[in-house]
Amino acid sequence: MTDKSVDLQTAKARALEESVGAEPIVRDDGRAAAQTWRAFRREPLGMISLGVLVLLTLIAIFAPLIAPYPPSYGEAVLKPPSAEHWFGTDSLGRDVFGEVVWGSQQSILVAVAASAIAIVLGTFVAVVGAYFRRLDSVISVVVDLTLSLPVLPLMILVAALVGPSTATIIAVVAAFSWPEVTRLVRSQALTVVRLPYVDAARLMTSSPLWIIGRHIVPAVTPVIVVSVVVTASRAVLSAAGLAFLGLGDPNVWSWGRILYEAQQSGAMSSAWWLTLFPSLAILLLVLSATLLSITYNDARNPRARR
Amino acid sequence: MFVLPRLGRGLLTIWFAVTVTFLLLRLLPGDPALAIASPNMTPATREVLLQQYGLDKPLIVQYGIYLWQILHGNLGISFTQSIPVVDVLMQRLPWTLLLTGTALVATVIVGIPLGVLAASHRGGLIDRLVQIVGVTGQSIFVPSIGIFLLFMFGLVLGWLPIGGAYDENVYGLAWYGSVAAHLVLPALSLMLVQLGSYVLTMRSTLIEALGEDYIVLARANGLSYRRVLWKHALRNALLPTTTLIGLQLGFLIGGAVLTETVFAYPGIGRGIYEAVTQLDFPVLQGAFLFLAITVVVANMLTDIVYGFLDPRVKKS
Amino acid sequence: MTTRKIAAIVATAAAAALALSACAPSAPTGGASTSPGSATLTVATTTDVVNFNPLVGNSRTDYWVTNLMYPHLLGIANDGSKEPQLATKWGYLNPTTGYYDIRTDMKWSDGQPLTAEDVAWTLNATKKDKPAGTLYGQLADFVSAKAVSKSRVELTLSKPDVTLVDEIGFWGNIVPEHVFGKAPSVATFANDGKDGSGWVGAGPYTLTKYQVGQSYTMDRVSDYPLAPGGEPLAAKLVFRVFPDINTEILALQSGEVDMIANALPPAQVSKLQSTNGVKVAESEGLGYAHMAYNMKNADLAKLDVRQALAHAVDYDAIRKVVLQGQAVSTGSSPLMPVLKNYYDPSIKEYTYDTAQARSLMQKAGYTAGSNGMFPVKFRLIYSLQDSVTAQWVTMVKDSAAKAGIEIDLQGTDRNTYLALTAKGDYDIYAGNFAIMDDPVTNMQLTYLPGGVINYSYVDDPDLTALIDKGAVTADESARVKVMQDAAKIVRDNVYDNIMYTQNLYFAYSSKWTGFVSKPSELLSIVNSISVASAHPAG
Repeated sequence: MTDKSVDLQTAKARALEESVGAEPIVRDDGRAAAQTWRAFRREPLGMISLGVLVLLTLIAIFAPLIAPYPPSYGEAVLKPPSAEHWFGTDSLGRDVFGEVVWGSQQSILVAVAASAIAIVLGTFVAVVGAYFRRLDSVISVVVDLTLSLPVLPLMILVAALVGPSTATIIAVVAAFSWPEVTRLVRSQALTVVRLPYVDAARLMTSSPLWIIGRHIVPAVTPVIVVSVVVTASRAVLSAAGLAFLGLGDPNVWSWGRILYEAQQSGAMSSAWWLTLFPSLAILLLVLSATLLSITYNDARNPRARR
Repeated sequence: MFVLPRLGRGLLTIWFAVTVTFLLLRLLPGDPALAIASPNMTPATREVLLQQYGLDKPLIVQYGIYLWQILHGNLGISFTQSIPVVDVLMQRLPWTLLLTGTALVATVIVGIPLGVLAASHRGGLIDRLVQIVGVTGQSIFVPSIGIFLLFMFGLVLGWLPIGGAYDENVYGLAWYGSVAAHLVLPALSLMLVQLGSYVLTMRSTLIEALGEDYIVLARANGLSYRRVLWKHALRNALLPTTTLIGLQLGFLIGGAVLTETVFAYPGIGRGIYEAVTQLDFPVLQGAFLFLAITVVVANMLTDIVYGFLDPRVKKS
Repeated sequence: MTTRKIAAIVATAAAAALALSACAPSAPTGGASTSPGSATLTVATTTDVVNFNPLVGNSRTDYWVTNLMYPHLLGIANDGSKEPQLATKWGYLNPTTGYYDIRTDMKWSDGQPLTAEDVAWTLNATKKDKPAGTLYGQLADFVSAKAVSKSRVELTLSKPDVTLVDEIGFWGNIVPEHVFGKAPSVATFANDGKDGSGWVGAGPYTLTKYQVGQSYTMDRVSDYPLAPGGEPLAAKLVFRVFPDINTEILALQSGEVDMIANALPPAQVSKLQSTNGVKVAESEGLGYAHMAYNMKNADLAKLDVRQALAHAVDYDAIRKVVLQGQAVSTGSSPLMPVLKNYYDPSIKEYTYDTAQARSLMQKAGYTAGSNGMFPVKFRLIYSLQDSVTAQWVTMVKDSAAKAGIEIDLQGTDRNTYLALTAKGDYDIYAGNFAIMDDPVTNMQLTYLPGGVINYSYVDDPDLTALIDKGAVTADESARVKVMQDAAKIVRDNVYDNIMYTQNLYFAYSSKWTGFVSKPSELLSIVNSISVASAHPAG
C-alpha cells in the first residue's frame, strides 16, 4: 500500500497538472514511445488536431505563396467578404485574408520562441533542482514567488515601459511562462530521481550531467511535450491580448494587430469579419494545440487508454 | 504550527511582489513627469515635479522610504490624481471582488457537474464533447467573445445592458437588480475562459478515484453506480477545486483587464492598465501590493480549507 | 466526510461572503424627480477624469467635466476668433497692461458671487504654484493680476505680448478662491469633493458624485445666465466611461447613452450617419497634423532633402483613405483655412511627385544605389495612441520608398513618444496639435529657437524677426500680413510639413436635439452652451 500522505506542494502541483490534462507517470520502458504513438493514432481528435497544427505551420511558412503582403492602403474600405476579398477589407482598405495569412508568421513565431525559451529555462531549473536537493528548496521558493506575481498586469507594465517590439513580447511572455513549466517538470523529475535505477546510475558515475541527460531528461520528456504545447498556446493568447491593448509590434502583421486595428477604428461593433477571422485563427491554433496535448497524454497513460 | 510558516511565506511573497514592481518601474524607461506634464512645460518645472514625486533621490533611499511608508500603512499619493493611493484602489476593489467572485462561483457550479459527466461517460462521445467545450472556452480571445455577447444580448436582443457596473438614476432594491444585470455578461465571459481547467481537473480526479479499490467494494456491496459516483464526486471535488481556486484567483483579479475594458467594468485590472499608461508609480505599486496580498490571503485560506478537508495532509 | 466538517466549510464560506459584502458597494438612496425638464443627458467617454483640478488636469475628460463647472473668460467662434463668455470686454490699456471686464450675474453653486477677485486670484495662484496644466504654460509673460473692481481685472505683463489676454482668456478656467484658496497649493489640490460638501462650480452643471471607471454625475445649476432661457434644460448630466469605443457605439445604438463625447474614427462616420436613431454633428478642426524634419540631422539640414521628402507624400490619398475625406489641406502652411482672417490661399501645398523628389535628392548630391534607394535612412517617431497618425505613417513610408528614401517607423506608447520628443531623439516627428487657434502664440512656440514645440529645431533669423514683430503688432490686419509672410517662409523652407486639418464628427442619439457645435474635440457638442441647450426631441 503506497503512502497516501501528501504535502501541499505536491497537491498543488498535481492540481496544476490535472488542469492541463497532464498526469505524473513514469515510464522507464523503451517501448513506451511506440505504444504511445499507436494509441494516439487511434484517436481521431488527436489526429485532427495534429493536422490542423501542421496546416497552420505550413500556412505560416508558405505565406508568400498564398497571399500578397498587405499593401499600406486600398480603395475599398471596410467591405464584407466577397469573391475578391475572401475575408473582406479593413478600415484602410487592406485585404484581411492577406493579413491573417501573413499574421500567422508572427503569431506562431512569438508562440514558438517564447515557449522554447520558457521550456528550456524551466526544464533546466526543474531538473537541476530535482537532482541537487540542496538547491531544490531555494528553487521552489523562487518558483512559487514568481508564480504568485500577477502575470498579465506585469506583462502590460513591462511591455509599456520597454516599448512595443517583437523581442519585448517574446521576452515578456517567456519570463512569465517558465515557472509553470518548472513546476510541472519538477514533480515528474522528483519522482524519477527517487527511482532505483537513478541510484544505481549514481553508483556508476559521479557526473551529474550524464545522469541528468541520460535518465532524467528522457523521463520528463512527455511532461515537457505537454508543457510546450500548453505554454505555446497561452503565449498566443497573451501576445494577442497585449497587441489588443496597443502593446504589440506595430510594424509586423499579427493576428493580435488585426484585432487591435479593428478595435481602434471602432469597426469591431459592425464589421464582423474583422473580428471573426483572426479570432478563429487564434482559436484554431490554441484549441488544436491543447487537444493535441490532452490526447497525447491519454495515449501515453495506459490507464486512460481504451 | 500550521499558520506561522505560511505567514512567513506570505510576507515573503508580498515583499517579493512589491520589490519587483518597485524595481521594474524605476529601472525600465519611462518618465512620469513627462507623462503628467502638458506640452508647454519647461525643463525646470519637470525637475520640480520629479522632486515632488521623490524620484530625484538615489534608488536605495527611495526603496527605504517606500518600505517604511508601507509598514506604516501609507501607500502614498497618486501622481496624476493627487489623492491617496488607498482611495484610488478602494474605489475599484469592491467591483473587482464582485466580478471575480461571481465568475468563480459560476465556474465551479458549471464546471464540477460537467467534469462529473465527462468522467462518468469516460472515453465516450459525451466525454470528448465536454472536453472540447472546456478547452474551447480556454482558447477564445476574450475581447472578441465580449463584443459578440454585447452585440447579441445587448443590442440585437436588448436583454442585457451594455457596459458599466450599474444604472444611474436607479435606487434601492432596483439598484441591486441592475448590478446583477450588468454582471451577467462579463462574468459569463470570465467563466467561459476558466471553465476548462475545472472540468479537466474534476474529470481526472474522478477517473482516478473511481478506479480505486474501495469503490469497487462499495459497488459490490450493492450501492448504485449513480449514488457512489455523486457521493464520491462531491467529496473529491472539493480538494482539487480548492487548490485550483487558489491558483486561479491571482490570475483572475489582475488578469481581467481585457474583460473589464470591453465591458467597461470598473475593476482593478483596467485601473492598472490606466495607471501604466499614465506612469502613476504610487498607484501601480499600491495595486501590485493589493494583488499580492489578495493572492497570499486566498492561498492561505485555501490551504487551511484543504488541510481541514483532507486528513492525509501532513500538518507540518 | 462528517457533518462537522461540512458545517465548518459552510461557516467559512459564509464568513468570507460576509467579509466581501462588507466592502461591497451598496445601493444609493434617493428618489427620482418627476418635475418637467427632468431628463438626464448621458454622455459616453473613453477615459476617466484623471484630475478634478482644472489647473492641473490634462486628459480630455478632465476638460469636458471641469469646463462645465469652471468658466472660461473667453469662448471661441468657428473661425478661431475669440468670443465673450465670462468676460464681456477685454483688451489692453497699454502694451504691458491687459484687462477683462466680466459679467456680474454669475454665481457659484454655493451662492457666493463670481467676481473679479476670483479671476485675479486664479491667475496669481497659478503663476505662483506652477501647476502642471495648460494655463501655466500660457503665463510666460504674465506677472500679476489685480481686481480693480468687482467686475474688472487688470493684468501686468513683463513685456508687450499682443496675444496674452486672448490666450489666457480662452485657456484658463476660473476657480473659486474661497474653495481652492483653502489648499496650500493649487498645484497639489485634488479637488475631489471629499473635503467638506462636494464641489462648487458656476455651472451649467456641477459634479455631485462619481464612481471611477463607471460614471460622473452632474446636477444642473439652476441659475446659469449663459444658457438660453437662463436655465439648463436637462436636469442631470452623466458621463459614462467606456474604455472601448466599440462598446460606446453599441451603447449609443441601444439607447443607453445619448451622445459620444470623443471624436468618431473617420471610417465610422458614414456608417453612423446612415444608422437609424443616430445623428452625427460636425465640428471644425482647429489644429493640424504635421511632420517635422529634425534639422540637427545633417541630411535633413539640407533644404533639397526636406523638399524631396515633402514631395514624397501622397497627401490626397491620406486625406481620402485614412481621413475618409474629412480633412482639408492647409497648403502646407500653419495658417489653416479655418482661421479665416489669417488664411492665405496663395500658399500652395507640395505636390506628390516622386520623380521630382528623386531629382531633388540628386541635386543635393545623393546617388541612388542599384536597388533605387538613396544612402539615407530616417527614423520617424509617432504615438501609437494616435490611431489616425499611426495609419498614415505607413503610407508615408511606402511613398518615400518609391522616391528612393528609406524611412524607419518607430511607433511607441505615448510616454516614450513624449520622452523621445523632449530629447530630440528622432529624425522625423509625426504628430498633431488639437488646437492652434492663435498663429502668433503658436508660431512663437513652434518656430522660435528654444520654443517648446520647435520640433524641427529651426533657427531662421528672418522668421524669428517676423514672429517677434507679429507679437507686438496690435493692429490686426498688419499682424495678419506679417504672419502670412512668416508662413511663406515656413512652407518654402519646409520648416514644418503641415499635412491637413481634420474636421471632427460626433455621434448623438436622434432622441436629443439642441446641441451647439464648437471647434475642436475639447469643445465640440460637449461645451457648456451646447449641453445647457440640449433637450429631448419631439
